[in-house]
Amino acid sequence: MLNEDKLKQVMAVVLKVDVSSINEASSMDNIKTWDSLGHMNLILALEDEFKITIPDEDAGNISSYKLIKVVLGELLDGVA
Amino acid sequence: MNTQDNNAIKLLEDASSLSELMSAVDALEKNDTSRELNWGVSSSVTMSQFGLYLRKYGLLSNIKINVLNGNYDDPLGDIDLFLKNNVDHAIFLPFFDNLMPSFEAQLACMSEDLIASKEAELRGRYRLALQKGGSMKVIFLCTLHSMSPLIDFSGNDVSRAILNRFNIALREEARQFPNVSVIDTEDILSFIGYQRAFDSRFYFRSKAPYTSAFLDELAKRVCLATRGFGSHFYKALILDCDNTLWGGVIGEDLLSGIGLDKHDYPGNIFWKIQNEILALEKSGALLCLCSKNNLADVDEVLEKHPSMVIREGHIAIKKVNWENKASNIRSLAQELNIGLDSMVFLDDSSFECEAVRQQLPMVKTFQVPKNLSDYPGLFSEIKKLFLAGGVTEESKSKTLQYRQRSEAEALKAQFENQDEYLASLGLKVELSLNLRSSIPRISELSMKSNQFNLTTTRYSESEILSMMDRDNFAVYSLVVSDKFGNAGLTGVVIVKYEGDKAVVDNFYMSCRVIGRGVEMVIWHQIIANAINRGCTHLHAKYISSAKNSLVNDFYDRLGLPVVDQFDAGREYSVSLTDFSPPPTLWITTEYVE
Repeated sequence: MLNEDKLKQVMAVVLKVDVSSINEASSMDNIKTWDSLGHMNLILALEDEFKITIPDEDAGNISSYKLIKVVLGELLDGVA
Repeated sequence: MNTQDNNAIKLLEDASSLSELMSAVDALEKNDTSRELNWGVSSSVTMSQFGLYLRKYGLLSNIKINVLNGNYDDPLGDIDLFLKNNVDHAIFLPFFDNLMPSFEAQLACMSEDLIASKEAELRGRYRLALQKGGSMKVIFLCTLHSMSPLIDFSGNDVSRAILNRFNIALREEARQFPNVSVIDTEDILSFIGYQRAFDSRFYFRSKAPYTSAFLDELAKRVCLATRGFGSHFYKALILDCDNTLWGGVIGEDLLSGIGLDKHDYPGNIFWKIQNEILALEKSGALLCLCSKNNLADVDEVLEKHPSMVIREGHIAIKKVNWENKASNIRSLAQELNIGLDSMVFLDDSSFECEAVRQQLPMVKTFQVPKNLSDYPGLFSEIKKLFLAGGVTEESKSKTLQYRQRSEAEALKAQFENQDEYLASLGLKVELSLNLRSSIPRISELSMKSNQFNLTTTRYSESEILSMMDRDNFAVYSLVVSDKFGNAGLTGVVIVKYEGDKAVVDNFYMSCRVIGRGVEMVIWHQIIANAINRGCTHLHAKYISSAKNSLVNDFYDRLGLPVVDQFDAGREYSVSLTDFSPPPTLWITTEYVE
């Protein structure tokens, strides 16, 4: 099971925004600091935090909170 | 530092994830740090994440590092950018595989002409960049590396041969500039392994090849090579004896029973470590013993044990007694005239290590590992503290000079008064103007001198060179010798001429020649030169620091009147015709222009 609080926490730290501002609608389009560097950091931070490896294609595509949830959910279920 | 900070530092060291590291760095940077430094990062790949790791190691040295990332593959533009933004430290990292798209894969089929012109372009571009950066304090140039281990295991790999050639070119260019040091990136790869170093996902997508493991190790090496970003300069290694220099306890196991046989375990480990220690001594580290033992027992080992590598002559001072180690280390610092924060202490006892850590937290303390085969690995960490910043020739014979000083101390006792003693020394001072061959030592001394340093201005080699090149500066250096030997280049006075004023920019000396009048005798010549240039006044300034109270009245003693007093120091001025420094009849001087 994906711990959404943990996910929001990591996103807030890496993207330097308040944790309460992260919601279902958050994406690269509406978070200014979520640029290409921010994205790279986010992928690496998520991998560290959830002890997973995000495959190449997904790493490029998960540009919103919802997409991250989907991909992380699949990866974590796969582990379990 | 409060408990909260200690926790943050612990988090910084132990951060197991990127977000933890980012939080810890952000949290610690909110505090006041003693110093801030501006660093620029210039690369032909995306290195934007490297800044985080530089900031991490900065904070571990209590320094806040502001990082300015250059543009993609533009060392020349980056240097302009850095200079415009007061960035005076930089790291350049050209990336081999990205010199041209997938350069390594192309090489086997590439014409020699094209390769040669790429080499010339690389060399020319970095030469220009380094030239432009001549006024920067420190520049690190990283060598190139491959992205994969050898395919042809014999080493006759085409791409490796070209890589080596390009690296030779970069090293040659780096050597032309005193402020440029090289970082060998292939060694980082051999340390952490190719597989841990690269993240091909981000290399192909965003030209960001490196993993956090690589970036962390690179930043760590920059930190070591700059001696904690200039926060420390280790000078002395304080060694325990039993189970540190040899296996066993000399008082119980006796001369024949201690473990030091190079062919046998565990003697071979101690013997190896002694060789490593001796190599450190040769590079300029001062060795001291601090051991709870009977002096006669330890002396017997030093003198008679056939396998001892370290002998009496390698040791600057011995504290072999039953006093507590912290007081012994304090008095070692006093006798050597160096700060406690420039000492490293090595002991096998957790009790002794803990006691020294508690009482003297500024001394860097290491404990010999319980598992002896880990000892060489631990000692590598100690070696890095002394050697990662490089050593100068002059430093190599320093132990000898300190020993001469101790012998002089012993002789001192036999004279009626200080003057008589000084007269007996046969002191000679050779004062030189703009001595180019000594630029590295002049700069090194400015970095290392804390106690006898009137303004604590630090000068890089390129700054010294540029002052020597200019007509309105005079860089005086002095070499002191006496009947015991030559103390080497131990003092520097930098004078700036401003119209009819000769202004002392800074005066700093090594503590090993203090107390003999050397600091007074040089001013006759400096004043004569100023008068020859048409100067009428001498100006000087004392700026207090945490460490230079030793010289807070130096200019008063020299006979200069105070003209202004401010919070952090005093300003002095004197008419040159009214001024004569205190007499120092026991010193002969020679002036070399």
